[in-house]
Amino acid sequence: MNPEDQKLSSLLRQSKPAPSLPPRFAEHVWRRIEHTPERSATWLDTLAAMILRPRIAWATATVLLISGLLLGVYQGNQTARQADLGRYLASVAPSAVR
Amino acid sequence: MNRPLLTILSALVLAAAIFGASYWTGQRGCLMCHAQSTDNLTWLRDEFHLSDAEMARIRELHEGYMPKCMEYCAAIAEKKAELQSALAGTTNVTPQAQAKLAELAQLRAQCQANMLQHFMTVSQAMPPAEGRRYLAEMQRLTLGFHEELEQSMASMTNMPSARQ
Repeated sequence: MNPEDQKLSSLLRQSKPAPSLPPRFAEHVWRRIEHTPERSATWLDTLAAMILRPRIAWATATVLLISGLLLGVYQGNQTARQADLGRYLASVAPSAVR
Repeated sequence: MNRPLLTILSALVLAAAIFGASYWTGQRGCLMCHAQSTDNLTWLRDEFHLSDAEMARIRELHEGYMPKCMEYCAAIAEKKAELQSALAGTTNVTPQAQAKLAELAQLRAQCQANMLQHFMTVSQAMPPAEGRRYLAEMQRLTLGFHEELEQSMASMTNMPSARQ
């Protein structure tokens, strides 16, 4: 590049004026941020926020775990009872006479 | 999909997984415990809350009944084979087949009577209320099956059942 061109570029950069900020610019920006209307939370937002709270999440998980176990044990008992009944019935009342 | 909806759906899936896993664990654990018992009289003890003395008496009755039951089973199986031989290759119910049918029915009736007598004897070895409940339940499970079958067939053909 021509050294004269380099000098010219440098001069042009120096002469380009940087725009000055208006007075109390920062204060105006913060005021606009404060007055910006918030998006109203929908019921989904509320529900999701509630779910993500640790206490509620742990409590729900504990309740599900215990209720699942209890229901499983109850169902297992019922199934085992039916199996025991079937075994007794097969021993005393063969299908030929039922 | 928006973020709250994704959160809720993920939570539902996780909740279902927790519940399902605990349900399956509880059920399998219970079944594994029960599978270790091979006693045919377990149901009696658990259902009718029998004491050790009552169970011992009923076990004695049960073991006395089993040989007779097996004799009847063998006799009925033999008679059924004879009936099948009598029916083989014929297009009519021959007098011989009719006789075999009658003998088979008689054997089954005797077997049923023997079975019902055993139920009554066992019920008398239980406390009165439990004994009545046992007898009613065993009669329902053994004799009641045929009544239900007849009623269902009668309703299909719109004919009065034998019970009515």
